[in-house]
Amino acid sequence: MENSDIKKHEVLIIGGGLSGLRAALEAGKKSRDVAIISKVHPLRSHSVAAQGGINASLGNVPGASDDDWEDHAFDTVKGSDYLADQEAVEVMCKEAPDVVLELEHMGTVFSRLEDGRIAQRPFGGAGVPRTCYAADRTGHNLLNTLYEQTIAEKLDFYNEYFVTSLVVENQEIQGCIAWDIEEGELVGFSSDVVVLATGGYGRIYNRSTNALINTGDGAFLAYEAGVPLEDMEFIQFHPTTLYDSNILMTEGARGEGGYLKNKEGERFMKDYAPEAMELAPRDIVARAIITEAEEGRAFEDEYVHLDLTHLGKEKIKERLPGIRQIAQDFAGVDPVEEPVPVQPGQHYSMGGIDVDIDGKTKIDGLYAVGECACVSVHGANRLGGNSLLETVVFGRRAGKKIGKTIEKKEKDEGEIKKALERDKEEIERLIHEDGDILYSDLMDDLRQVMFEHFGVYREEESMKEGLSKIKELKEKYDSVHIDNENEKFNTALVRTLELKSMLYTAEVVAIGSIEREESRGSHFRRDYPERNDEEFLYHTKVEKTEKRPELYYEDVTLGRFEVKEREY
Amino acid sequence: MKFKIYRYDGEEEDYDIYEVPHKEGQTVLDVLFHIQENIDDSLSFRYSCRGAVCGSCAMLIEKVPRLACRTQTKMVKEQKIDLEHYKALDENGELSEDYILVEPLPHLDVKKDLIVDMEKFFKNYEKIEPYLKSKEEPEKEHLMDPQKVSELEDYTNCILCAACFGACPVNGKNEDYLGPVALAKLYRFHIDSRESEEENRLKLADHEDGWWACDFYTNCKKVCPKGVPPNFGIGKARQELEEIKDEED
Repeated sequence: MENSDIKKHEVLIIGGGLSGLRAALEAGKKSRDVAIISKVHPLRSHSVAAQGGINASLGNVPGASDDDWEDHAFDTVKGSDYLADQEAVEVMCKEAPDVVLELEHMGTVFSRLEDGRIAQRPFGGAGVPRTCYAADRTGHNLLNTLYEQTIAEKLDFYNEYFVTSLVVENQEIQGCIAWDIEEGELVGFSSDVVVLATGGYGRIYNRSTNALINTGDGAFLAYEAGVPLEDMEFIQFHPTTLYDSNILMTEGARGEGGYLKNKEGERFMKDYAPEAMELAPRDIVARAIITEAEEGRAFEDEYVHLDLTHLGKEKIKERLPGIRQIAQDFAGVDPVEEPVPVQPGQHYSMGGIDVDIDGKTKIDGLYAVGECACVSVHGANRLGGNSLLETVVFGRRAGKKIGKTIEKKEKDEGEIKKALERDKEEIERLIHEDGDILYSDLMDDLRQVMFEHFGVYREEESMKEGLSKIKELKEKYDSVHIDNENEKFNTALVRTLELKSMLYTAEVVAIGSIEREESRGSHFRRDYPERNDEEFLYHTKVEKTEKRPELYYEDVTLGRFEVKEREY
Repeated sequence: MKFKIYRYDGEEEDYDIYEVPHKEGQTVLDVLFHIQENIDDSLSFRYSCRGAVCGSCAMLIEKVPRLACRTQTKMVKEQKIDLEHYKALDENGELSEDYILVEPLPHLDVKKDLIVDMEKFFKNYEKIEPYLKSKEEPEKEHLMDPQKVSELEDYTNCILCAACFGACPVNGKNEDYLGPVALAKLYRFHIDSRESEEENRLKLADHEDGWWACDFYTNCKKVCPKGVPPNFGIGKARQELEEIKDEED
């Protein structure tokens, strides 16, 4: 069950989505020994599902030519409900045009304007058309481009390896332990640098647009290693996910002119954001839909209509072909002919591993980038088109920093061997020992608890009840079992390991949500419906201690934009 | 509803039949999860996005390579795809009205249950040097004709799920055939206006296991969940190569 050969690499990237691959490519310019570990083939990473686009103030669209990074930064900070760190936002927005052009040079086929330049579409919370796109398959196109580059650069991959723990000694990263899913054995990795690029934790919710693999593994690994998690209570609910299956219907559909209508046929956003209408930020539109449902104006009390019929067949075919196919495949609805039933669903994790603007954590040699990290550029609510941007900007920055600072260190493998033994015991217990609880039951319960108690609307009593349920589920994990004893390709085992990440991540989300007695961005408290800058214009940090998770607050980096009321 | 599912644990092959309650909108992937979570957790399969964009879950469903996440159990018996005959149709499980048959993707070695070894598939992809070699790096973006972009999209839409590889009769006969994905990808770079390699791209597969191995069964296009037409790209590539040869003669 264990492989006694410890594998050595200078730089190890955990996760093969956009941020991981971008970091790997950049680090690979200086280091000859970069390897990527991923629990799935990199092309199956959740980045592939991003639809709408990537923001950059290229100013390509007529009428928007005076767009600049500062406007982009302002929209981002306002969208974040002023919780984003303004220095980090500045970095992201300044580097945006460059990273987009770089992706174009690498081979991404972006959609074009008639004059041949990259096309840009309007997105929620943005003043001008700023979102560059490749039809409505932007993530797919970007991920393929970066993967192609890793083939050109001949980087090493360990596909279908699930990382079970990080190895840290004296606040310095030593490597990690991973379960080789195919061979069914634990492998120790020794490395000078480890980059976590594992994506979000959306699947702790039962209604989520996320891939089934987004289980918060990186956040859990970092937390266990002693790194604080930041702003985990901020969960983005996307307003338009396909009813029941919760597959994403891009904001681009509204960017292209789609309407949201209730069962009375009204464009109800006029009552919530009279100026921005359907293009108000996601938190506002998601709450509007839930309110419509609560007040009896939704279909079957569950969903509203995303109406694209007036856009015409040609525009839908050209700009939103992926959406059309998804609606046809999964809801049996052709958006050209009839409206699409949509409801809000979990979509994005604003919070994550506490890092600086180069992706560094407080542990030497340990970095985190992309959705698993919290830089923080999204604050309390992320704008559409900024997540793809974050992955490549901060992936590249981390890679550069690693390239500049890398030094060969002599490593003692003792700690790695110890960690191997410990993880082996745990896996043996899961596979070979009897227990009375099925992992899948626990997983279902957790997802239900999160949606019910930590959803779009929150309040103290319900959340406290939710937290005690999460704690009970955590205790039950010790008695969880798997019914088969296969070592090779034991999918149930991998899901059980993921469940552990989910339980710990969920607890931190719950603690942060209860303590934040205000409403800001995606975090809406019925018992505290106003934003409270005096007490809560702070980042939440939660750190593991011997006894219990410890919560504290840290300052937000302000400076450029004045903190104001947020109106759309 | 009954499902007959191929099982392989590294030693023995078998089929198991499972009875799974029907739910509105249920997909084959939902069924596999239901079995794993409630009946038999030793069942192994690949999955990720569950929304037909990541390409993880291509398998042989009712003798047609399809994405499990995109295949609705209620409709699968009606959604017949008329394919040119290929080897996997005669092998292993038999079709029946009593159950829905689920097997691993043909033409790749089975690792466990519905999981196949994708190494050969990705090796072929790597052989065609799947990365843009651009003519120059302009200060800003390369200008591209929107019409040409739309032609390119037919090929960039490929999600590398390997459904076509499993449906191609030539892949079933010729171990060394590059296959529809690699050739479609190669054609995609060839027609990219930013590409510097010109006809060298075409020449990369100008051999009996490349462009010339295709017999135009068109199974590839018929099973592609994204509507990619490898057969069309292969035909165009051959035409161009013939024109080049005519000129050289």
